[in-house]
Amino acid sequence: MKVSRRKFLQAGSAVLVGLSVKGARSISGSFVNDSFQLGHQLRDRGSFPTVRRTERHAVVIVGGGIAGLSAAWRLNKHGFHDFVLLEMNEQLGGNSRWGQNEITAYPWAAHYVPVPGPKATYVRELFAELGVLKNGEWEERYLCFAPQERLYLYGRWQDGIEPAVGLSADDRDQFKRLEDFIHQFRATGGFTIPMERGLSSSQTDLDRISFEEWLRQRGMSSRVLHWYMNYCCRDDYGALAADTSAWAGIHYFASREPEEKGPLTWPEGNGWIVKRLLERVESFVRTGATVHRIEQRKNDLSVYSGDTEYRAQFVIFAAPTFLAPYLTEGMAPLPDFEYSPWLTANLTLDRLPANYGTDIPWDNVVMNSPTLGYVDARHQTVQSHVERTVWTFYWALAEGAPAENRKLLLEKDWGYWKEAILHDLERVHPDIRQCVSRIDMMRFGHAMARPKRGAIFSEERRRLAKLEGRLLFANSDLSGLSIFEEAQYRGVRAAEKALEMLAR
Amino acid sequence: MGILLFISVLLIAACGLIYELIAGTLASYLLGDSVLQFSTIIGCYLFAMGIGSALTRYIHRGLAYRFVWIELMLGVIGGFSSALLFLAFAYSQGFQLIMYALVMVIGVLVGLEIPILMRIVKERYAFRDVVAHVLTFDYLGALGASLLFPILLVPYLGLVRSAMLFGLINVGVALWSTFLFAKQLPAARGLRIACVLVICGLAVGMAQAKRITTAAEDNIYADEIIFARDTRYQHIVLTRFKDDIRLFLNSHLQFSSRDEYRYHEALIHPGLSAVPTPRRVLVLGGGDGLAVREILKYPQVESVTLVDLDPEMTRLFTTHPMLTALNQKSFQNSRVHIINADAFPWVDSNSDSFDFIVVDFPDPTNYSLGKLYTTAFYKAAARHLSAQGLMVVQSTSPMFARDSYWCIVETLKQAGLKTYPYHVYVPSFGEWGFVIASGHEYLPPASLPAGLRFVSVDGLPTLFQFPPDMSPMNMPPNRLNDQVLVRAYDQDWKDISH
Repeated sequence: MKVSRRKFLQAGSAVLVGLSVKGARSISGSFVNDSFQLGHQLRDRGSFPTVRRTERHAVVIVGGGIAGLSAAWRLNKHGFHDFVLLEMNEQLGGNSRWGQNEITAYPWAAHYVPVPGPKATYVRELFAELGVLKNGEWEERYLCFAPQERLYLYGRWQDGIEPAVGLSADDRDQFKRLEDFIHQFRATGGFTIPMERGLSSSQTDLDRISFEEWLRQRGMSSRVLHWYMNYCCRDDYGALAADTSAWAGIHYFASREPEEKGPLTWPEGNGWIVKRLLERVESFVRTGATVHRIEQRKNDLSVYSGDTEYRAQFVIFAAPTFLAPYLTEGMAPLPDFEYSPWLTANLTLDRLPANYGTDIPWDNVVMNSPTLGYVDARHQTVQSHVERTVWTFYWALAEGAPAENRKLLLEKDWGYWKEAILHDLERVHPDIRQCVSRIDMMRFGHAMARPKRGAIFSEERRRLAKLEGRLLFANSDLSGLSIFEEAQYRGVRAAEKALEMLAR
Repeated sequence: MGILLFISVLLIAACGLIYELIAGTLASYLLGDSVLQFSTIIGCYLFAMGIGSALTRYIHRGLAYRFVWIELMLGVIGGFSSALLFLAFAYSQGFQLIMYALVMVIGVLVGLEIPILMRIVKERYAFRDVVAHVLTFDYLGALGASLLFPILLVPYLGLVRSAMLFGLINVGVALWSTFLFAKQLPAARGLRIACVLVICGLAVGMAQAKRITTAAEDNIYADEIIFARDTRYQHIVLTRFKDDIRLFLNSHLQFSSRDEYRYHEALIHPGLSAVPTPRRVLVLGGGDGLAVREILKYPQVESVTLVDLDPEMTRLFTTHPMLTALNQKSFQNSRVHIINADAFPWVDSNSDSFDFIVVDFPDPTNYSLGKLYTTAFYKAAARHLSAQGLMVVQSTSPMFARDSYWCIVETLKQAGLKTYPYHVYVPSFGEWGFVIASGHEYLPPASLPAGLRFVSVDGLPTLFQFPPDMSPMNMPPNRLNDQVLVRAYDQDWKDISH
């Protein structure tokens, strides 16, 4: 008997082909709302239209992120209406932009605000106005529902993101010691939000070394502890602990001790706050209004956008501060201001992964992943039964030089990032490709301020933060920390300053 | 003849592997710990094959005759192995013993097959070719079986019928061999008759496979299962033992028809009878229609709105004769309006007001259900209460889940309501707790509908007394951002079972 080799191979490969053909599910999506081109046009000083119209306002706000909107909110609240807000994008919100599909609203970047402490008076004032804080109590529906967060490590999920399982006695000891250090720093009252209210020259040394060095100098070298510290720095600063000022690393932990289990969050993330602010100031807002030049004179300024010249007595510059030298005649570049590139993605899930269960936390992090994990946009629903959802996936390109990572972010196409995201998720949800029908992505070249060594006590930063002259800087990067509270604080302060000067 | 012979090798190799996989899968299903089950079963099986192979040295004559018999025996034993194991698990204490014995017997028989076959054909081919061909097809069969098993057999045929199908193949090989080796088989006729009989037996077995598994499952559940369905939202099982019908949702007992009147009378009448003129009633949960049955005893009630998530559940209790007998066709009453919706969003979006609200959800076993026991939910529900309105909440057992019970009471208080906790004894549940909650003072009613079997005017005050072992515990409220109740409930039941 002889089965010819060819026949055997034919039959065999037919069987294998038959087995491997799986319902290949197509996943659609694209990059959305990229502002790279506009940004590069500014950087390269491309040509812009000639002036055809002139408008006069007491105040012009440049940039419609949280800082700019907060400035507008403040001016409006004081009954001051002689101002205009210019936003480059069609959508307001900056890092707090949001999206909406048939399933839910979802965030594009900033997605929560920690329950503000007593020093964050402007945030508390805003939240009281928005009904988030009522008679001293936080609205239950805006506080992050239980369960809040989990970490995947050693092939299982644990509650909370700080590693708690598989720790050696030494690991535990180091976590404990770090906690003691943090406790002491907190007790000094020097680490506050807003940061300006606590900052003192006694902390200068902490800004001279990296957070990683600081940990090692104190004998904290546990790998698990360093993973967690790196995670925290990537999450809040888009940088590794080695590239973060020790001051900023400590501030992350020592600045907060909320009285209520939080944070505050909404399906569209901080987009919810943007919507509420817009309800109040929308009439002052011009979208698609890219500012391409600012001219300073002794008694006023001109802001050029499109074919319009806006003449103002004060300009609140709420866009990222590094842009200012590109727009402003005679302003020197700002090397102390460094930013981290980010990729965020919103994944539409037509069904939930098989291993999803009923008790899924809001924030899901995988240990030793280069990404920051995903957040469930439907977490804040009061429904008890959810079949479809949207996950917001966060990826701070932290490792390596920001400029290189920005290049990578621009060069690689959507398909590359789609695969990278799915590979990352497949580690914890093997059937993710069968669940996802769409992945939209947003690329942020300069997503958040990177508090590198020396950034906090930088002369440059402190000079611009002083609110002197007619060009008032208000972006959160002036705090060295890209967080909601700082953006709102700087926006409000700039507005107060403008009002004060105008009243003179 | 060559190719036919080697196809036999391929088939019997597949059969052998399938029996092994079935034993492993069944043991994993029924006993859990699949690593242990598969390891020990594969080990036993391979070891038994070795014994079989060793035994062949004692077989000197009648090789073809013995081969056919081995195939026949494998067909019977292997073919019925799965059914036998199911029944053994349901009816005997010695499941593992029976399982390993069966694996050993099958292993020995499979171990015998190939050496004997090789000796039968050795005269026809060079030894080199025999070994090469036989082993090639042996392994090919194993590959085929291991691919077929998870992809086609388990999903489409199930374990019982898969075993029988491969038993049929074994017997087929036996029958076919009587022709293949006709020269060496003087008494082929008797063998063929035996083959046909076994084939009939297995064919009948395949047709009746469902009965075998049902019989086994019935015995596992203790009572007869009269209905089982996976809906979009839950797993519904109804069982019956004599006159006792029980409903399980996701394996949690919801009621026993023998004593549910105690639960439902206690849920409805202490509250509803205290409402001066109850016209509009809202029931959240309660898809079995038993609470509605009690509510319909009040002629003043003009409308009952029932909001239950699962349409399959309300349909079942609207149409199943045994169940409509229990709820007295309450869902067919014209005063009753059924809405299939998620309760919390419904409460948020609706603006009607009600004189009596019944909150009767499954226990807070997870965070999704726990949302329906939060201050936020009770505040939202209380907005629907009319000026004279009362709300009653099923709130687990103050005896077995004491922390949980008092946590629910505290949660209602924090939602700004006055609370009136009470409890009853329901034999199939044990001590069970409820809370009446309201914006105003509650006084127990002075009269009740006629014909109640459990709740009475005289007995009412005693329901509101808690003996020391169920007395109030100091608990924080359950909130959306901090679901202490789900953790307390989990802990309460852990404490009971340890």
